[in-house]
Amino acid sequence: MAQVRLENVSKLYGRKRAVSNVSFGCEEGEFFSIIGPAGAGKTTILKMLAGIEKVTSGTIYLDDRPVNELSPQDRDVAMAFETYNLYPHFSVYDNIAFPLRAPRRHESLSPHQERERVEEIAAFLGITPLLDRRPTQLSGGEKQRVSLARVMVRRPQLYLLDEPIAHLDARLKFSTQTALKRLSGQLGTTIVYVTHDYREALGLSDRVAVLRGGLIEQIGTPEEVYHTPSSDFVARFIGDPPTNLTDGELVTTDGETVFRAGDDFTIQIGEALRQAAEKVAHQEAGRRTLRLGIRSSHIKVSRERISENSFQLPVYAIARNPQGPMCTFELKDSFLQANTEEGLRYDMSERLWLDFNQEHIMFFDKSIEISKR
Amino acid sequence: MSEVTINHVYKRYEGNVEAVKDVSFTCEDGEFLAILGPSGSGKSSMLRMIAGLEDITQGEILFDGKLVNALTPSERNLALAFESYALYPLMSVYENIAFPLRAQGLGKAEVDRKVTFIAEELDLADILKKKPSSLSGGHQQRVSLARALVREPNVTLLDEPISHMDQRVRAEMRARIRRLHDELNLTTIYVTHDQAEAVSLCDRLAVLNFGELQQFGTVDEIWNQPANRFVATFVGEPQMNFIAATMETPQEVSIPTSGGKITFPYSRKVDPSYVGSEITIGLRPHQITLSLSRTHEGAIGGAVELIEFQGESAILTVTLEDLHHTEVKVVVSGERPGQAGDSVWLGFSPEIIHLFDKEITISHETQR
Repeated sequence: MAQVRLENVSKLYGRKRAVSNVSFGCEEGEFFSIIGPAGAGKTTILKMLAGIEKVTSGTIYLDDRPVNELSPQDRDVAMAFETYNLYPHFSVYDNIAFPLRAPRRHESLSPHQERERVEEIAAFLGITPLLDRRPTQLSGGEKQRVSLARVMVRRPQLYLLDEPIAHLDARLKFSTQTALKRLSGQLGTTIVYVTHDYREALGLSDRVAVLRGGLIEQIGTPEEVYHTPSSDFVARFIGDPPTNLTDGELVTTDGETVFRAGDDFTIQIGEALRQAAEKVAHQEAGRRTLRLGIRSSHIKVSRERISENSFQLPVYAIARNPQGPMCTFELKDSFLQANTEEGLRYDMSERLWLDFNQEHIMFFDKSIEISKR
Repeated sequence: MSEVTINHVYKRYEGNVEAVKDVSFTCEDGEFLAILGPSGSGKSSMLRMIAGLEDITQGEILFDGKLVNALTPSERNLALAFESYALYPLMSVYENIAFPLRAQGLGKAEVDRKVTFIAEELDLADILKKKPSSLSGGHQQRVSLARALVREPNVTLLDEPISHMDQRVRAEMRARIRRLHDELNLTTIYVTHDQAEAVSLCDRLAVLNFGELQQFGTVDEIWNQPANRFVATFVGEPQMNFIAATMETPQEVSIPTSGGKITFPYSRKVDPSYVGSEITIGLRPHQITLSLSRTHEGAIGGAVELIEFQGESAILTVTLEDLHHTEVKVVVSGERPGQAGDSVWLGFSPEIIHLFDKEITISHETQR
C-alpha cells in the first residue's frame, strides 16, 4: 500500500498543455477518483503515475519517494487500460494468470496458489464460466472484465484503473461496480481510478477530484462534490439529470432581494442566500448578474400555489417514471427539470407552480455555456 | 400518423436462426411505444421488418389495417433515425434536412417552410448554415432526427437515438423527443436496450427476449405486474431482489431464518394450492423500508455490507439473516445512508411483494 502525492505536476505535449499544475495526495488505502470530460487530462495523470508518460514539470511521490525518473517496472503499480490488450492465443485463465508468472515477480506462487488467486478474482468479477475460453469468444463487456481481473489479480502497492468498466452495459456496470468496491475494501490497496461517469466516482470513492481542461476544479468527498459543487461546471457534471442552471440578476427593492430570470421567474431570497449571491454577482451593464443552480429533486411542483415564493411555468414535456413524473420546463436560456410526486399526472403546456427549496439553491459565477444544445 | 399492427410475425435467418418468434402487438395511432430488450432479443430485426429493410418470414405487419409486407421502405412513408447519423458531409444542415423534401419534388417555398418549422422545434435554427462535421454529436443527432421528421411520416422509428449521447445532454434530449412526439402527434416506435430510457419516454412497452414477446403493457403494468421473472429483472435499476420463501397461507409468505420463520402478509390472494410450496419473493430496492431498530414484527434483520453513494440516493448492499444469507440491494436517501457494518431491519409492505414460481409470476389468476 502506498501513499501518492503529486506536487505541481504539469504535462506538455509540444506546446499543448494536457495537465497544468496539478497537486493532490492520496492516503494509504484510499480509493481516489479522477473524473472529468474527455480531454480533461485524466488518463495523462494516470500514465504519469504509472511511469508510461514523463512528467514535464513537478514531482510525483510514492510513499514520499520522488519517482519521476523511475521506470514503470520499478514502481510496483498495476494499471488497467480502457482497451483490453488480451493475448488472443491464451485462454482467459492464462491471460489472468500471466502477470503472476512474470519472472520479475518477487513472490512466486505454486500452481495451486496461482489457481486460487485466479479463481478468487474471477468469482469476484463474475467471469468464472469464461476461464476456459479464448478472448476471441468473448463479448466486449466480458473482455473488459477479464482485463480488469488480470490487473486485480496482482498485489501491487498501487492500482491505477482507467475507465475499467466503461464498456459494460448498465446492468453489468452496477454489479461490477459493487464487486470492485467490495474488492477494494478487502485488499486495502490504494486505488487511483479514472472515469467520466459520475455514478462510478461517487459510488466507489473516498474522495473525488474533478478535472477540467488539465486543471483541478474541485477535490472532495463524494458528498461534498455532489452537495456543494465549487462551480457551475462541477454542478453540471455531477448528477443526473444535471443540476438546473439559469442566468439572471439580483434586484433589491425596499430592502428585499430577489433573483430574477425573465418575467415569470422571480424568487425572493433570504439573508444567508443573499450573501452567497452577492459574492458571485458581477456588474454587467448596470445589472448584477449571476447564475442560479438547483437540483431537480429540490424543486416542488404543484397545481396549487405552494408558497409566497413560488411562480408558474408551462410544462414543456413530461417523462414518465415509476417514482413519479419528471417535468421539464423551458426557460429562456435552458431547460429546467423537476421531479414530481408519484401518482400525479400533468399535461403538456399546463401551467404549474414551482417552488425552490431555499436551502438547496446555489449561486455561481458563469464559467460554462448553458445554451440549449 | 398510423396504427401499426404486428400480427404473429416471425423472422428466420439462414441456418434456421429464429430471431423473432410469433410476436404480436399493436401500436396505436399517436402512441409512443418502446421495443425493449437486451442484445440478441430480436428487437432490431423487429424494427427492420417494420421499416421494410428486411423481409418478414411469416406473419403480417399492417399500417392502419393495410398490409405492408410487400411495400418498400419509401412506400411505407416512415421516418427512420438510427444511432449513427449518416449526414451528407458536404451539405449544410439546412440542405441535409431539406434533402428528403426535394427528393419528393416539393417547391422551394414549401421546403423552406417545413425546414424552418422543424429546425425551430429542434432548436437548430442557429446552425442551419453549418456543415455537419463542425457540429457536436448531440447536434448531429438532432439534425438526423430533423431530417427524419421533416417528411411528416406515418410512423417514426427511432433506433437507440440518444444512447451514445453525453449523460448531460440525455435528460434534455428525452424531453425534446417526448415534446416533439406530443406536439406533432407522431406515432413513435422507439427501439432500445436501455430500460430507464424506455420507461421514462414511452407510453407502452413491448419487452422482448430471445425473439419472443415477454410482456406488452403500460409502464405501470410492466413495473407493478411483471409477467415473469425476466421482465421483473430487466426493468428497474438496481434490479429486483429475489429471496427464497414459503407460501404460508393464500395471503402470507414466510422467510426462513435460523431463529425461525418471519411472516409477511401479501396483499393479493393466490391459488390455495400454492400453500406450503417453496416460492421466490421479489422486491424492488426502492420500495423496501429500512430502519435501525425492529419497529414491528414483519421485518427481517440484516447487516450493511457496502454503501454506494449516488447523490440523491445511496445503494446499500445488505446481507439478510435468512438461511441463505441472501444479499439484497436497498435504495435509501443519500442524506444519511449510515455505514458499512450497521445492523438494519428491512420491512416489506404487502403491496410491494412480488411472487414467483421459478420463472413465472404468481398472480391471483395463476393456477398451480
